[in-house]
Amino acid sequence: MDNKKSSARTILAHVVLIILAFLCLFFFYILIINATRSHAQLQLGFSALPGSSLIDNFKSVINDPAIPILKGIQNSLLVSGCCAAIVTYFSALTAYGIYAYDFKLKRAAFTFIMAILVMPTQVTALGFLRLITGMGLDDSLLPLIIPSIASPAVFYFMHSYMQSSLPKELIEAARIDGSREFGTFNRIVLPIMKPAIAVQAIFTFVGSWNNYFIPALVITSKHKQTLPIMIATLRGADYMNFDMGKIYMMITIAIVPIIIIYLLLSKFIVEGVTLGGVKE
Amino acid sequence: MATLNLKGITKIYPHSGEQKKAKKGQPEKKTNLQVTDEGVIAVQKFSLDIADNEFIVLVGPSGCGKSTTLRMVAGLEEISGGELYIDGKRVNDVEPKNRDIAMVFQSYALYPHMTVYENMAFPLKLRKMDRDEIDRRVREAAETLDITQYLDRKPKALSGGQRQRVAIGRAIVREPKVLLMDEPLSNLDAKLRNQMRAEIIKLRQKIHTTFMYVTHDQTEAMTLGDRIVIMKDGYIQQIGTPQEVFDHPANIFVAGFIGMPQMNFFNARLTAEGGKYFVSVGGCKVELSAEKSKNLAARKVQSQDITLGVRPSHMVLAKEAGNTLSATVEVSEMMGSEVHFHANADGKDVVIIVPTMDSNGVHIDSFHPGDKLNLTFSSNVCHMFGQNGENLEF
Amino acid sequence: MKNENKIKSVSYAKWGYIFILPFFLSYAIFSLIPLADTIRNSFYEYYAFGLKTVGPNWTGLSNYTSLLSSDLPKYAWNTFVMWILGFVPQIVISLILASWFTDARLKLRGKQFFKVVIYLPNLIMASAFAMLFFALFSNAGPVNSILLRMGVVGEAIRFMESTLGARTLVGLMNFLMWFGNTTIMLMAAIMGINPSIFEAAELDGCTHTQKFFKITLPQIKPLLTYTLITSLIGGLQMFDVPQILTGGKGAPDRTTMTLIMYLNKHLQAKNYGIAGALSVFLFIISAILCWFVFKMNTDSDPDGSKSAAKRAKKGGKA
Repeated sequence: MDNKKSSARTILAHVVLIILAFLCLFFFYILIINATRSHAQLQLGFSALPGSSLIDNFKSVINDPAIPILKGIQNSLLVSGCCAAIVTYFSALTAYGIYAYDFKLKRAAFTFIMAILVMPTQVTALGFLRLITGMGLDDSLLPLIIPSIASPAVFYFMHSYMQSSLPKELIEAARIDGSREFGTFNRIVLPIMKPAIAVQAIFTFVGSWNNYFIPALVITSKHKQTLPIMIATLRGADYMNFDMGKIYMMITIAIVPIIIIYLLLSKFIVEGVTLGGVKE
Repeated sequence: MATLNLKGITKIYPHSGEQKKAKKGQPEKKTNLQVTDEGVIAVQKFSLDIADNEFIVLVGPSGCGKSTTLRMVAGLEEISGGELYIDGKRVNDVEPKNRDIAMVFQSYALYPHMTVYENMAFPLKLRKMDRDEIDRRVREAAETLDITQYLDRKPKALSGGQRQRVAIGRAIVREPKVLLMDEPLSNLDAKLRNQMRAEIIKLRQKIHTTFMYVTHDQTEAMTLGDRIVIMKDGYIQQIGTPQEVFDHPANIFVAGFIGMPQMNFFNARLTAEGGKYFVSVGGCKVELSAEKSKNLAARKVQSQDITLGVRPSHMVLAKEAGNTLSATVEVSEMMGSEVHFHANADGKDVVIIVPTMDSNGVHIDSFHPGDKLNLTFSSNVCHMFGQNGENLEF
Repeated sequence: MKNENKIKSVSYAKWGYIFILPFFLSYAIFSLIPLADTIRNSFYEYYAFGLKTVGPNWTGLSNYTSLLSSDLPKYAWNTFVMWILGFVPQIVISLILASWFTDARLKLRGKQFFKVVIYLPNLIMASAFAMLFFALFSNAGPVNSILLRMGVVGEAIRFMESTLGARTLVGLMNFLMWFGNTTIMLMAAIMGINPSIFEAAELDGCTHTQKFFKITLPQIKPLLTYTLITSLIGGLQMFDVPQILTGGKGAPDRTTMTLIMYLNKHLQAKNYGIAGALSVFLFIISAILCWFVFKMNTDSDPDGSKSAAKRAKKGGKA
């Protein structure tokens, strides 16, 4: 019918998408370019071409005793990795408990978790800080890991996934085959939940890697800092006297690993965003 | 290979506000299950003694409690009342894994992340059997079920029929005392279902175990069962061999449920005249056979209004009108060796089965819609049901 | 039948409790106890003064009244303005993109590439992203450098020194971080609509614009509402971006100071009484928003696709 009109729409759509994609990538492009340039080069103004100071900047970042970034990466990896493992295992466990068994408080438990689904953790930060100080866990990485056992949103995701992908007959078959309840969970349920677990492990890892508010309040000593806290100290330092090449390099170190993981798993992650929500 | 005794097994689903809340907005499910203060009674005083190596089929419409009964035997549902014995041992409080039973599910319930071999080996591994013995048993079962070539595949890569074989395989490798099957053929298409039905009959001859089989399909029940238990609304309606329940249905429900096409029912009058019994329906009055009269007399049955049941193959076409029931052909269904006529007799639909040719291969005259028929029935294969639906003879 | 395990009866209820125990234990210890403690502190005069600690002394509601007479309303307004600056473009662009991505007639190329790219900023460390923006938009930063060289502006724009500039930067970053995510959620909802409705509308003579406003939009309304509420909760928690961008000062003149930045300030200063009152205030707002989310999740499915489909069916009959 109106081919001209529809091709005009197609062109418009492509133009808008290219602009948005440019907007998303442009900043990262500048970041990476600038990370390759020395402070002196950066002072001369922006250049679209990379410089030659990539290695120098990298060396000066990892050799800076004021900001022990390697230790920071190590701490961040430890916290994010543990969180991803704990969150997925215990959320699946909780979801399975509510999905597979009938008990008196089942509905109440489910309702409670749904009620706190999106409750921000910041509102209890005060009491949390006082509590962990009382427990002697302040300035420790443990309070950044242990509380993630209770992650309502991940629970909800797992529960939805079970409803669509874990037939109860399978649990009964395992029971008759002679499996114990924990055995059934570990040997039958977890393997079936693999896609959901992988997606949530990634999101939790990234979320924890990027988390700033609580870690900044809990961690006080330098060698226990995670990456976001270190980034924040850059801003607090006397910014004007700082080596700009080094700043760009530090930001690069903080976000490039995530970008690489994302690009490798992008299809999987993008699909995963809506995985648990869409029921058959 | 074990006896199985169910003594007054009852299942009551307690009322709970939670369940009602969960189902709000949905229309109430229509069942005739009895509701008491304690809850909904899904199975009512189910008693049955199953002999070693017997094949028992529980059959009935959906919601009759047959699956619940099976699941209580399996240990997947708590038993609310009554006692369950396997090999003379009370097992009410024994976990399913210690009951020495195996079960085949309607949806097969194969573990999707394991290969066929692993699926079948799983129950044996859990019993800490040694590897060689597991291997021997799995291969033997695979051989029996003709699935050896699929052992390395995942269930996803199998067809419905193959999955069903694996599910059966997983159940029989354990050499259980009792093999439970919950509508195992329902997810298959008609052709495969017939094929698998034959396979189960063959399997039954190969392995020595007690079967308990649930289905809603009366053909499966008739072809597979040594004895059939017909259930409705949580109550047992009749227990008997396929021949018994077909020939002597205990009540209208059983009469209508067993047999395809369904038995014809007529409003009729039973009259007792000097030791003889007559049934009159429409313009047709038939004297009952001596045997039936004897049965009725033995129970001192009086003259009364009854429901008369006659199977379609037992309807007789009379050459001429007179002491017959007249009907008009509405639909004829050609089945090959026979024709099913649906006829209208006084507003009631009556089905009559007529062979297409006689034993000499000569075609019998057929009928067309609108043709008048004169019907009668044979006096020794009709069934008389009283006002309460019970068979008056037994 | 040798190792026959005698248990009271074959009931698995206890396993349900065992499996959910860690969750509830952890939640009780790390969230409920702190919540109670937070509320309790809000009624006490309790703060650090130099190296000394004042209190705790019971003062009733005085923390609340002093909080309300402080700059709290201003910070609430800041938070709201910066949220709106990000949310409005986010929802508009996401709707347009989602309808394009799901329009088979549009023959979009590189769909997967665009989806991957627009989702990317969502995963970036907000603090590093803010630091990056701070460096890029500083007076001598690359953005000004480019604008000057292109002759767009005569002298460097002092983004961080004007209220509008700083707030817009925060809004822009929030937009960039969230529009990809919203697009993907909306796409899933639109794809959940029965396609024959669109075909019927087309046969009835609907234009693209009409299809979008009369069919797509009403069908995905539940998800739009859900996005709005969850985004509000996210906005309420706004912290990392303005904190790093302004060095925690909320510059210029505390016009980018958000509620959580304010809370953070009191927590760092160990002003437990005021921080407690502020937390309770945030808790009440959050609880109201949580209630909406709860209602939506328990009444219908989370992405609204099922209710969309349900409505689609009804619409089809009408």
